[in-house]
Amino acid sequence: MKDVQARPDARAMELINAEIDGELTREEQAELDAMLESSADLRAMQAELRNLASMLDSLPEQTPPADLANRILDQIQLPKSEPAFSLAGLFGLFKPAPTAVAFAAGLLVTVGVYEVASERDVAMDTSRMVGTMVSGSPSQANNEKDSLAISVPGLSGTVSISESGAMRILNFDLDSVEETEIVIALAEAQLGFGGIARAASSGTDAEQSYRISEGTLRMVNQGRQAFSVFLLEAANQDGESRKISIGIFSDGAPVFSGVLRG
Amino acid sequence: MTKSRDQSLVDRCLNGDRQALETLVREYQHPLYNAAYRILGNPEDAADATQAAFLKAIENLDRYDSNYKLFSWMYRIAVNEALNQLKRKKNQQPLDDRAVDDNPGPDEQVEAGNLSREIQDGLMALTDSYRTVIVLRHFADFSYRQISDVLEIPEKTVKSRLYSARQLMKERLLAHGVTV
Repeated sequence: MKDVQARPDARAMELINAEIDGELTREEQAELDAMLESSADLRAMQAELRNLASMLDSLPEQTPPADLANRILDQIQLPKSEPAFSLAGLFGLFKPAPTAVAFAAGLLVTVGVYEVASERDVAMDTSRMVGTMVSGSPSQANNEKDSLAISVPGLSGTVSISESGAMRILNFDLDSVEETEIVIALAEAQLGFGGIARAASSGTDAEQSYRISEGTLRMVNQGRQAFSVFLLEAANQDGESRKISIGIFSDGAPVFSGVLRG
Repeated sequence: MTKSRDQSLVDRCLNGDRQALETLVREYQHPLYNAAYRILGNPEDAADATQAAFLKAIENLDRYDSNYKLFSWMYRIAVNEALNQLKRKKNQQPLDDRAVDDNPGPDEQVEAGNLSREIQDGLMALTDSYRTVIVLRHFADFSYRQISDVLEIPEKTVKSRLYSARQLMKERLLAHGVTV
């Protein structure tokens, strides 16, 4: 025997529930309307279920315990914890300028330039702001003002600062055994981020990442890394010497800190 | 193609962005806690389940599929955590201290202020599977399709559970003097 059609009341109940849930098609709504028109019992049933749904929908929202979010946050370890590098002051973040500009003529190609913006948006796609050094090095071509030599277990190299017009250029040449995070205090020095250009790398792209957060530029590196960071004067173009704090961390622990003047 | 806000938030968390994590937790703690509360019936267990759900979600964040809404994905984890907690509690303590009275006196009437309590007790008197579909439909405002995705059951089952759950709720509330 073939499957029999659902009993009218069972079908009506299905349609009434679906109506409450906003899941009826136009045809089903017409079918339900016809059923309701001919049955006072179904209309009463519809009213009861609607009332029940309304009661459920109107249950007051519960407020989580005030400390719940902090309890959760305290327990979560993110993949790469941020080092405790305390630097005063916040700085506006940056948005990409519409055009790419070549810095230090003859040295760079395809370097994205970032301009100062008032909006605060920590997330930014940094993939576009990495350029390539095609010859030489900025430190050779520009006027070097200061430098730091780094030699600690697992990390060696130099960081120097030079000038090119109104732009400061930090030149990194580092070799690290473990993954390191370099933190540059842009806001503290009242400088804005202009771009990054890599000159040499023994690592892969996956081993290099760049991020700006709360007035600091953070770069994660591993292996041999030679790159330049271009900094713009954020406020008046006063040309005053700036002190730029640089911290380097490995596995969240500080391994080097220094200040460049330029 | 622009990344969805959900995917962007997830990516930032995976990159160790603490601020993104805070956004995630503060944005979702309220709905997740409410779902857990309606399933478990008390604030302490709801807070524990919410906390466990977040820890599990963060642990598995790299498996998040951006084809689904982050809210649905998080909700699913929270509902499963709440149900798991319920099972553990039942194993440890068969009769809840606050067990629902299914045989009230015939003349018992419900004060207006107790209506919410009656409805919550009615929810707790349902089986876990019935209660869960009610929570997803009425507190998360999920469609049949979304409930089907979250619970990994056919839509037809969602419908039948929802209808049965409402019928049981209605009968129980009537038996307790609540006019529906």
